[in-house]
Amino acid sequence: MALNEIINGLGITVLLPIVIFFLALVFKINGKKAFRSAVLIGIGFIGINLILGFFLNNLAPAASKMVEYTGAHLPIIDVGWPAAAAIAFAGKIGLFIIPIVVLVNFLMYTFRWTNTINVDVWNYWHFAFTGGLVYALTGNIWLGILASAINSALVLLLGDWTAPAVQEYYKIPGISIPHGFSAAFVPIAIPLNWILDKLHFDKIKADPVSIRKKWGIFGDPIIIGLILGMVVGFLGNMKNLGSIQAWFGILKLGMSMAGVMYIFPKMVAILMDGLIPISEGVRDFMKARASTRKFHIGLDSAILVGDPAAIASAMILVPIAVILMIIIPQNQILLAVDLAVLPFMVVMTIPITRGNVLKTVIIGTVIITGGLLIGTNLSPLFTKAAIQAQFNMPSGATQISSICDGSNPLSWLIVKLMDKSFGIAILIAIFFLFLYFYKKHEKGWEKIAGASKEYLEKSE
Amino acid sequence: MLRKRILVVCGAGIATSTVVARKLEEKLREKGINIETRQCKAAEVEGMLDNVDLIVSTTPVPDDIKVPVIKTLAFLTGIGEDEAIEEIVRGLRGR
Repeated sequence: MALNEIINGLGITVLLPIVIFFLALVFKINGKKAFRSAVLIGIGFIGINLILGFFLNNLAPAASKMVEYTGAHLPIIDVGWPAAAAIAFAGKIGLFIIPIVVLVNFLMYTFRWTNTINVDVWNYWHFAFTGGLVYALTGNIWLGILASAINSALVLLLGDWTAPAVQEYYKIPGISIPHGFSAAFVPIAIPLNWILDKLHFDKIKADPVSIRKKWGIFGDPIIIGLILGMVVGFLGNMKNLGSIQAWFGILKLGMSMAGVMYIFPKMVAILMDGLIPISEGVRDFMKARASTRKFHIGLDSAILVGDPAAIASAMILVPIAVILMIIIPQNQILLAVDLAVLPFMVVMTIPITRGNVLKTVIIGTVIITGGLLIGTNLSPLFTKAAIQAQFNMPSGATQISSICDGSNPLSWLIVKLMDKSFGIAILIAIFFLFLYFYKKHEKGWEKIAGASKEYLEKSE
Repeated sequence: MLRKRILVVCGAGIATSTVVARKLEEKLREKGINIETRQCKAAEVEGMLDNVDLIVSTTPVPDDIKVPVIKTLAFLTGIGEDEAIEEIVRGLRGR
């Protein structure tokens, strides 16, 4: 029996636990613990698959009726980061992502190309996601692996570059955030912030706390889901609002979507639970080998998301995103699950704008506008990656994407360049130019990423 | 001893908070302290405070919260875990 047959026959719910189990043994995890967590990972995938099926089966027909009646052409469903993460880990690249990222990080640390030790194993999925899209595009597993490696290398540089700003603003010494999604927006936010300062937007202050009280409803995924489900249901039933059945349907769809928003991430928590032992194993393995000189510990941007300005900005961005979704003619994404994670989009912009809500919202608006176009553009690959990772798609016609990772400009850039050999050369050139100029003007770069002169002098 | 309730907070209430919650359950059980954890995201802390004895967070939470808050990254970085556990034990006993 060929290896491919075994891989396809077992399916991801069996295969990934086996891979993780043996990988855990390599990283010296106790066998009993490794076994239990490997099984949990399989359970996480079962849960995600169930909810994804429920979600698409409920929303897709309503969305297509909405298209029919209103002309709003939004056939691509935003399945959000829970699905993106699962697709990433369940794809062929995802099987190898942990050793790939550990190796890239280890080499870069040894060559003194990075000071970050990325111990945030869970978020390696962002790199696996980019690799998965490249694999879906090219069918070449090596190109997918290379894409993941380049993505993780670039994000390590972004993590180093933003470390002083993040440490100062969020008061977390010794930490950097090599997060595949949050860090990707830094190079976009810096020039936009510069323009906004020239236009004196930095003088306008909004109070995050009062915004949070007023706009709190947009911070609650359950309410977002409920409203969204009912609105889509309403628009999909425009022709028969006289019938009580239509209203039953509208209410049921609202409830279903509220349920999806609540339950979907909980399924990811099961996956997360299963990944804990191996994360700790990888963390201790890497730290033990990095003790030769000072390093930043790379963590999840989730540790920044509690910032009041980030929460306030993201709340305002929820209705803005919905408006953009409707008015941008090229957009085909029906926003849903990822409306809950907009704070992750802005957390690394916050040190650049120094917590200015207005500037952050404007930058976020530009990012989401671009994101809707990118997400629409990447949707066929996203859908293909999901099918390759053996997720249940209700019908051949359903298209999916997400406003977070499906709309990540860095992933998009890598995907667009990876299928040509000169594109790969360009990517590698970008990496080395970035490395060279950053190392040459380290303090200057760190200052434009939001660190103060005083902080940089003190940390020398 | 009564079961103590700890609310574990992070950005999305899913990833880093799961790591911290599991670690707390394991470490505090070793110390003979029975706890129950609940997880939530930073934006919804205010609505989750009923019967909570202590908040352990990896991310900033609002200042005006009535429940004691311990913000720590120790369980993520693996540095200073024992000190963090001691602080949490003290926080639980203080109630």
